[in-house]
Amino acid sequence: MDWKKFFVAFVAAFGFIFVFGFLWYGKLMHGVHQEVPALWRPEAEFGNHFSWLIFGHIVMAFFLTLLCSKFVPAGGPGPCAHLGILVALVYVGNDFIMYAVQPITMKILCGWIVGDLIMFGVAGAIIGTIYKANSPLASQIPNS
Amino acid sequence: MKRFVLAFIAAFIFIFLWGWFYNGTLLKDVFAEAQSLFRPREEMMGLFHWIIIGQAGLALSFVMIYASGFAGGGIAAGVRLGIMLEILAVSARCAFYATQPFPAKLLVLISIGGFIEMIVTGVIVGAIYKSAAARTS
Repeated sequence: MDWKKFFVAFVAAFGFIFVFGFLWYGKLMHGVHQEVPALWRPEAEFGNHFSWLIFGHIVMAFFLTLLCSKFVPAGGPGPCAHLGILVALVYVGNDFIMYAVQPITMKILCGWIVGDLIMFGVAGAIIGTIYKANSPLASQIPNS
Repeated sequence: MKRFVLAFIAAFIFIFLWGWFYNGTLLKDVFAEAQSLFRPREEMMGLFHWIIIGQAGLALSFVMIYASGFAGGGIAAGVRLGIMLEILAVSARCAFYATQPFPAKLLVLISIGGFIEMIVTGVIVGAIYKSAAARTS
């Protein structure tokens, strides 16, 4: 594994996920989220828990990069975006379950689904663009 | 393709039963502590098909990822994939914890159950796919 490229890809993925999350879930969906205000922490309380949001995004970016580097060691935006979308589908499954158990609206569910697909697809493409190993070993299938 | 379908069905059945046993029965009282964040039971039952669709989607995407690049590694690769996907799910829970007033205890217990669920799903999918690889080689 090329750790330097891995690190750069991870930082870029984190940057994108964080900014996209802020714009999509925090700004664009703010009004939709406010349709069920009882579900969310008050602004001040959210500020006190903000470090958890950062930590979650760091872990998300790190393991998405790890998954891409293990799964698509040769890199490339297309295959990594494909993997990102498959990972997003895992999240989409969880979104459906959340909709059944939490009083979120259909608009929130749709927003989360579209957001997940865009976020992981683009993050995968970014990782794949940066993480292109030069070694001939890179084309080998992992775990085989 | 036959093994793909078999792996998907087996994974889905396990995820469904585990979800019912762990989240629906074992953690029932812990969920009740945060009742205001959840739908009333009758309302939840009316939306039960969404849980089925979600769990089926989860099982399908797991098998798709596994079949696309992990199949050569058998059960061990399935377990590795399960652990990585669950860590990604935990990262999402951290974000939920920041934005929603979930009790930390609930999210920790859900995550423990999630690890068990994804590891066993990896074993199931890996075991079924491994035999497919052995057949073709």
